[in-house]
Amino acid sequence: MPPEPRTEALIQVRAVSKSYGAVRALDNVSVDFLSGEIHAVLGENGAGKSTLMGILSGFVSPDQGDILFDGSPLPTGRPIEIRQLGVKMVHQHFMLVPQFLVSENLALGEITGNLTPLSLAELSKLATGKGTELGWNVDLQKIVLELPVGAQQRIEILKALAGDSRVLILDEPTAVLSPDEIRDLFGVLRKLRHQGIAVILIAHKLSEIMAVADRVTVLRKGELIATSLIGDTNEVQLAEWMVGDVPEFAKDGERSFGEVLVKAEKLSVNDDRGVKVIDSVDFEILAGQIFGLGGVDGNGQIELAEALAGVRDYDGVLTLPDNVAYIPQDRQTDGLALGLSVAENLMLSGVPSECKWGLFIRPALVRDYAQRMIAEYEIKVGKETDTAKSLSGGNQQKIVVARNLAQNPDLIIAVNPTRGLDIRATDYVHRRLREAAERGAAVLLISTDLDELSALADETKYLQSGGINDQFLVANA
Amino acid sequence: MVLVLALTFAAFGLDVPASLAIMWKGAFSDKVAIARTLVRATPLCLAGLGIVVAWRAGMYNIGGEGQYVLGGIGGAFCAKFLSSFMPSVLSIFILISGIICGALFGALAGWLYVKRGVQVVISTILLNFLALLTLEWTLRGPLQESKKQTFVTDTLPNEVMLMRFDSGTDLHSGVFIALIATVLIWVFLRYTIPGFHLRVVGDSPDAARANKLPVGAIQIRAMAISGGLCGLAGSVDYVGLTGRLADGYSQNWGFIAIPVALLGGLTPIGTLGSATYFGALFAGSEVLKRSTPIGNSVVPAVQGFAVLAYIAILWALNRKTQRRFD
Repeated sequence: MPPEPRTEALIQVRAVSKSYGAVRALDNVSVDFLSGEIHAVLGENGAGKSTLMGILSGFVSPDQGDILFDGSPLPTGRPIEIRQLGVKMVHQHFMLVPQFLVSENLALGEITGNLTPLSLAELSKLATGKGTELGWNVDLQKIVLELPVGAQQRIEILKALAGDSRVLILDEPTAVLSPDEIRDLFGVLRKLRHQGIAVILIAHKLSEIMAVADRVTVLRKGELIATSLIGDTNEVQLAEWMVGDVPEFAKDGERSFGEVLVKAEKLSVNDDRGVKVIDSVDFEILAGQIFGLGGVDGNGQIELAEALAGVRDYDGVLTLPDNVAYIPQDRQTDGLALGLSVAENLMLSGVPSECKWGLFIRPALVRDYAQRMIAEYEIKVGKETDTAKSLSGGNQQKIVVARNLAQNPDLIIAVNPTRGLDIRATDYVHRRLREAAERGAAVLLISTDLDELSALADETKYLQSGGINDQFLVANA
Repeated sequence: MVLVLALTFAAFGLDVPASLAIMWKGAFSDKVAIARTLVRATPLCLAGLGIVVAWRAGMYNIGGEGQYVLGGIGGAFCAKFLSSFMPSVLSIFILISGIICGALFGALAGWLYVKRGVQVVISTILLNFLALLTLEWTLRGPLQESKKQTFVTDTLPNEVMLMRFDSGTDLHSGVFIALIATVLIWVFLRYTIPGFHLRVVGDSPDAARANKLPVGAIQIRAMAISGGLCGLAGSVDYVGLTGRLADGYSQNWGFIAIPVALLGGLTPIGTLGSATYFGALFAGSEVLKRSTPIGNSVVPAVQGFAVLAYIAILWALNRKTQRRFD
């Protein structure tokens, strides 16, 4: 339990807004952060959490609104002054020099630009003192990159806490930690709370928030949805706040599906670090069916898609049709070769047989083919020889969609195919996927957007902690 | 380009119009001058094409020099141990041997990158030293001339050498090899599926991987083609121009091929043009150095300025297009 709650908020955020271009990252958000309290800020990707933390730590300037710190205005947009006030930030991606010693990294935050002799022990004293206080043994002579991730994070936290601290902001601190390390971190956060520090924790794992936070604020698409004491809420309610109402998934009775085209049995997939992110799942997709997979980002979605697309190794049994199309989440890096022309990008997953002669490409036929595709898939482009880079995001995605659907695939894997697109382009992608399913293709739609799943999918399941469930969120899974 | 040239001369304190006139005369005035230009342009064009292929695949091959030298060595081995063959056949074997040696040397750097993560820039620079040392060793060992007095190879008999067009000039039929190679590489990059895949890998390895292209194999293949072209440059010079190898066999052709390819916009046709331009610079400055005290040092200065000017133009164009999107 938090020590005697203070009525006066240490940080008062008042009607703060911030836009990036046409996107409103934060819309009129007001929230109080109290001393001696662990306050979780929760939301999906793009909800505005990082923008809010960026504003609090001075790396982002708000467009509108005021922030009071201890009763006086916070010098927004000035990270150094804010740090001197005692507002400290621990970034998700560590701001450490991996090749340096621990002591050198700790000293880094304290070095001022003069020519006095460098004493690492002296400069890192504040941070090591904090370490002793928190019960952490810090070996100053170790090289950072040789330490496990959890220990690196401790260095990062100690670096932040050096000197007087009144607020500690942690951006997704548990994302890289093992369960033991998470328990240890939470213990330390509780200690800091008892010292009267306002701890602000950005997170999207609900079970962790329930375990450690005193108060929770939920953001969605830049808006403040709710702030609540943790005892007054539960995981299901938090999930609803986070994603909006979980829509009713009407079973579509009109369409009948064909044979089983995709069958996964005990399918396991590792991510790039070798951690198992999909753990022995089973599912089937029928011809003509749009199979939706929802769930919070980072639950193995991309790895699963890559395994099915044949570009990532897996364990288990996977039965797939021959002709598989893959619409990757990141069209800029995985979907397109941006420096090549629109015509060339339309041929990226295979030069159509009509355009080739042995190993040769027939330029006139490529031009005809590209022009036909541009017309058929309504791609807005000057000439087919323009680079893909010169197109808008929606039209870039149309190239990826056109290329994949033109081959009449039996299975289409689409990962967040409308992320970042405007309404018209979104409708377009949805229409094309639906047409493909009506033609008899199996479609695997992996999306974090529940509205998209309810609009498109015939059946929806959810990824969570490596497994597939029927509900959006299974408590304590 | 003439402006860059004039500014460089002015910076050296030379009489600008007179120097330009000498350069022009040395490069283009008569058939001797034109032959001089073309003979120097030939290895630049071939090695430049090699650089184009590698760089378009995203492999920053700096090892043209080493691959050129290896091409020469491969040719010389061929000449020594297959000397009983008919001269016309032997010259073809020499060229092929040069291609193979250069290609293996280039592929080695590609393999090191794909399998061991060694950056191509680093490995190719170091392999250059390896190639030069190999040359020194062979000239003191297996390839040393029959009398074992100096560190050179035996000179190729005239019948083996590539055809000369005019006894008064050095111009040899290697110039046609460069022309044919330009056309072949142009067709390869633009109109063949392997060439297309190579460009996809160069533009976005991630997109290539997501579309199931064998990225590593394509990168190694690009380095092999690149090294093969640089090796061909080395063996063409051997069997067309010098007829023998000595310690200073390569006059940095493999290095100069990089600015040649850059100035040619990393396209085969552009490289043909810029190789001719650089060939003329060398031809002209060889005459110029006889008439001024500064001489050859003008050449690298002009090359440097030409490449910097090109990069500046690219940068300006880039800024312009970027502003359009902001």
